[in-house]
Amino acid sequence: MSGLISDEIAEDYKSSLEDLVTNDASQIRNLTVIAKENTEYAQAISRVLENHIRSIPPPHKLPALYVVDSIVKNIGSPYTLFLGRNMFPTFMDAYSSVDAMTRKKLDEMLNTWKQPAPGSLDTRPVFPPEITRNIESALIKARTAALQQQQARSQTDLLGRRGNTTPTGWNNGPSQNMSRHPQYSNNSHTSTPPMSNRDIDLNYLNRDLDGLIASARNDFANSPFNPACQQRLKALLDLQGILQRQQLTQEQLKLVRDQISMLAATKPPSPPNATSNGPVAPPQIPAPPVQPVSQPFQNLLNPGTLAELIKATASRQHPTPPPQIPAALPQMPTPQPSSTPQPAAPENPLIAALRARGFLPGGSTPLVSSSSTPVPGPALPFMMPNGMRSTPPALPTQAPPSNGSSGVPMNTASMKIPRPGLIVSLYDSRSNRCGTCGRRFFATEEGKEVKARHLDWHFKTNQRMTEASRRAQTRSWYVDERDWIKSREAGDDNGALDSQATEGAEGIDGNSKQEPPKPWIRAPNDATLRNTPCPICQEKFESTWSEDVQDWIWQDATKVGTRVYHASCYAEVTKDGPAPARSAMPQARTGTPDSVLGKRKAEGNESPGQKTRVKMEQA
Amino acid sequence: MSLPGLELTQPSEERQQVTAPPSQITLNPNCEWRFEVAFGHIIKVKLLHGTAELFGTELAESQTYTFSGTKAAIFTWHGCTLEVSAAETASTTSDGVTPTMGHGAGGCQSEYTAEETPMMEYANVHFALETMREEAQSIGKDGPRVLLLGPENAGKTSVAKILTAYATKVGRQPLVVNLDPTEGMLGVPGTLTATAFRTILDVEDGWGSSPMSGPSPVPVKLPLVYSYPLQNPLDGEGAVYRPIVSRLALSVTGRMAEDEDARETGIIVDTPGILGSDKPGSMELINHIVTEFAIDTILVLGSERLYSTVAKQYDNKPSSSATAAAFDEHISVVKLTKSGGCADRDAAFRKATRESQIRTYFFGNNIPSSTSASTALSLSASSSSAVTLSPHAQQLDFASLPVYSYTVTSIDDEDEDDYDPSQLAMGDSFLPGGGAEDLQETKQDPDRAAPLPGVVGSFSEPSGGTNASTAAQNSGSNVPLKKVLPPAPSALANTLLAITHAPTTASPAEVRDASIMGFLYVADVDADKGKIRVLAPVGGRMPPRAIIWAKRWPGELVGLVG
Repeated sequence: MSGLISDEIAEDYKSSLEDLVTNDASQIRNLTVIAKENTEYAQAISRVLENHIRSIPPPHKLPALYVVDSIVKNIGSPYTLFLGRNMFPTFMDAYSSVDAMTRKKLDEMLNTWKQPAPGSLDTRPVFPPEITRNIESALIKARTAALQQQQARSQTDLLGRRGNTTPTGWNNGPSQNMSRHPQYSNNSHTSTPPMSNRDIDLNYLNRDLDGLIASARNDFANSPFNPACQQRLKALLDLQGILQRQQLTQEQLKLVRDQISMLAATKPPSPPNATSNGPVAPPQIPAPPVQPVSQPFQNLLNPGTLAELIKATASRQHPTPPPQIPAALPQMPTPQPSSTPQPAAPENPLIAALRARGFLPGGSTPLVSSSSTPVPGPALPFMMPNGMRSTPPALPTQAPPSNGSSGVPMNTASMKIPRPGLIVSLYDSRSNRCGTCGRRFFATEEGKEVKARHLDWHFKTNQRMTEASRRAQTRSWYVDERDWIKSREAGDDNGALDSQATEGAEGIDGNSKQEPPKPWIRAPNDATLRNTPCPICQEKFESTWSEDVQDWIWQDATKVGTRVYHASCYAEVTKDGPAPARSAMPQARTGTPDSVLGKRKAEGNESPGQKTRVKMEQA
Repeated sequence: MSLPGLELTQPSEERQQVTAPPSQITLNPNCEWRFEVAFGHIIKVKLLHGTAELFGTELAESQTYTFSGTKAAIFTWHGCTLEVSAAETASTTSDGVTPTMGHGAGGCQSEYTAEETPMMEYANVHFALETMREEAQSIGKDGPRVLLLGPENAGKTSVAKILTAYATKVGRQPLVVNLDPTEGMLGVPGTLTATAFRTILDVEDGWGSSPMSGPSPVPVKLPLVYSYPLQNPLDGEGAVYRPIVSRLALSVTGRMAEDEDARETGIIVDTPGILGSDKPGSMELINHIVTEFAIDTILVLGSERLYSTVAKQYDNKPSSSATAAAFDEHISVVKLTKSGGCADRDAAFRKATRESQIRTYFFGNNIPSSTSASTALSLSASSSSAVTLSPHAQQLDFASLPVYSYTVTSIDDEDEDDYDPSQLAMGDSFLPGGGAEDLQETKQDPDRAAPLPGVVGSFSEPSGGTNASTAAQNSGSNVPLKKVLPPAPSALANTLLAITHAPTTASPAEVRDASIMGFLYVADVDADKGKIRVLAPVGGRMPPRAIIWAKRWPGELVGLVG
């Protein structure tokens, strides 16, 4: 490729971009035209744009993003391709650093990206839906977190970050969680988390690499005399070349990936683009020591909800909060980037490693496992921001106990906002599906248990259905107000049906010479009595016709004094003492309603019916 | 195997065997397959792969679902493939009408795939409600009380189903209130009901089924039922509707107070379309509902004008909940897009739906169109949730039955869409020979219901010997409900009688406010002997309870008993 021309063009474009500080339509148009005339260098221009957007002060971000917008809408491919690749980090980055007004504008812009470009014949949206969807779901999560934060605002503001200039209502409130992972840096686009538990995905790899290269370029541009930066950039570019040109096996990819991760970890913690935070006064943080771990490079520019979000994403990968972060915080009340040039990066361990393994041609150089490559482990906290980028709005693998939809306001405008991310709470977060009725369960141990009971319910119901089809069934009377108010819905996951279930047993009385084996009484004629429920379970008795008795009877009923109980209820209460009888149902709620109900119901209701049935069929 | 002569005995079945092969329908994410199946025709739908939901209730993979006499839509968030085929249909319906087979996949009358749906909006409503529920849970207040408003065919009930299905899906237990007498929920039309939903809704059967003596493949739901045997809530200027709504609200509030799950999840109230069609008096009724249920979220579907009226009146106003002040509760009015899939259900379709609901109440859902035993057996395998019920026929002495009937004038049952309240005539007497005793309908009927005996007292407590003696204390004279005296009017035939939980000696107001035990279908009236032949859902002696004659609504249903 014509690297030189490309660089030139890129440089030119960069300088033109730098002039753009306001939302100037003509300038944006110009920049679009330039981009259009140089589509063959689209990749370079796209990189320039991305880096530019990342590095400029927040007030300038919107116009720059408008250039992107204009380019993708007016030119489209290949820009959509190149710009789309990193759109998630770029957008989130910008979004997190700007004020509420600008955010609104960004939202609007994002919305237009979901539609076809105006005036275009192409009916596809400006950006592929995956890209916008990812951004959107991340934003939704951020807002959700924000709402929770607001609610938790009364929590002590232990970080004392009142100085935050962002006027948005929703990212000011610190949350208790914030204190654990406040290290989101909106311009630390430089590191990549190791995606240890993930199948190696070339796309991910490429994207990470792109990110690294971009940042390395950035570094290089800022400190051209730093040999480390130079070397690093070169190594990365080499690696990219390898990736693009060669078909690597999964194993090889894994190696590359590991190397990238490590390289990312060794990456000088802060990109030296001092301009990135614009108005903020330069910090007086001493040059970071070589060991990146101990270095609080975070600028807490926007410790808002995005940090929260990132934490959420990242902490799934690295559940242990780094203890050193809170300690580091007080030192940096003002969010600051470090403008210090980076300490020399160690020998390119990546290239070295690859060489060592025979991937790269050429000489033998340092060992991979040399001490120059820090273990990714301790450095992880600093990579969280990128956790976001490399695992874009990862859907929670395990559902939170809540239904994950908090923070959606009830108003007409809010209803129009697509929140595909929340659909997860209806589907993916309950991945364990009942094959019979489609009900979903959590993929947790508890969920499995509930499902087991649920399947049991299906099984028993089917059994009963088969039997019931041999005899007449009737619609039951509706309950009256009092019963309805007292009644509690029995689920299909507590292993039992209502009391009527027991009655499924004696349809074949006629063939049997036996008396009903269970306690029974003649159904009272008085309607009041007849509608009086069992005092224990508050469920009514079901009258059934007994051929033997030649009368309507109540199965499983016993008269004690003047009151009639379900025999099983009565037995249970008298025998087991404080058994969790049906009257306890109202309390049996919240966390584990299923287990409580399930146990009780299973014992109380199933067995009599089952036994009865068996006996009769033998007879 | 072909036996000689078989074709002759079952010619129609042979003819029906010639059905189209199953067709596959592939849906992209966020698309919806809308289909209409005529009454009498049955289609089978199977989800081959992907995820799909019908009004919020997810379909299980590889299970066969059967549909008949319905207009519905299967939506997918993630994309799916469906297999649609026609079932071996019963050759004729009970009334001898040959089922109309459409030309769509599986013989649907109409079916198409829609790419634009308001499902995201509806899902957002659910998420917003979840937000409110979580908040309610955390601070201990009541969950959201949602009111659905909109004109006919705007998709109110569908949205109610979606919200209910989503809520149960995430483990909630909403109390769903149906205030639409034109369509029953878990019962027959002409009722107002409240039901707590904890278990999955029936994909094939709308809301599901109320309890039966036997098992049901989809968990049954336990409704609380009140009789409102008129089609239009505005009849008598709401003099009957209001107190029943109040009573229902009282019960629902009582349940909320005791049932923690229900309290946190809140209420979903579905309303009749007439309230959304800007008729005089409808706003007053809406106001009544909003107050009684302490509504805090109003969803308006498909009517800009209604939205603006309702928003003006309620948006941001404090809700009428007792805790509104404490928690700073305000009503939000939200406008929702009407789904393009909302199909107009014409009078004939609605009538068929009503009849099928009544049929299902007595005979079960096994046979969507036919009551003949042979077809029932042949079809029982085709529907996964088929249950056949056997109602009991018996003769009753009419003179012994305390049958009441509403005396408010109503519009003609047949023309539903052209209702004009200005044509309301005053108290016509429709009882043979009963004109002298006609009670004047009144507009000063108390809105508030009598105290709930189930909670504060006992219903069985004797309330006086005669109507007259209790009339004063219960303002019974104001209730446009009067006893139908013998001889049995011939108009009873083919109508429903609602058995209340009120004792025979209850005052009219008590009868009006009483919940319903069940329904009788009057098959025959023998005026000479003073006997009526009825179909009762449950066998055994008739409970000695006050009975409300559903003369006006759902009206006559001919041919339930062949």
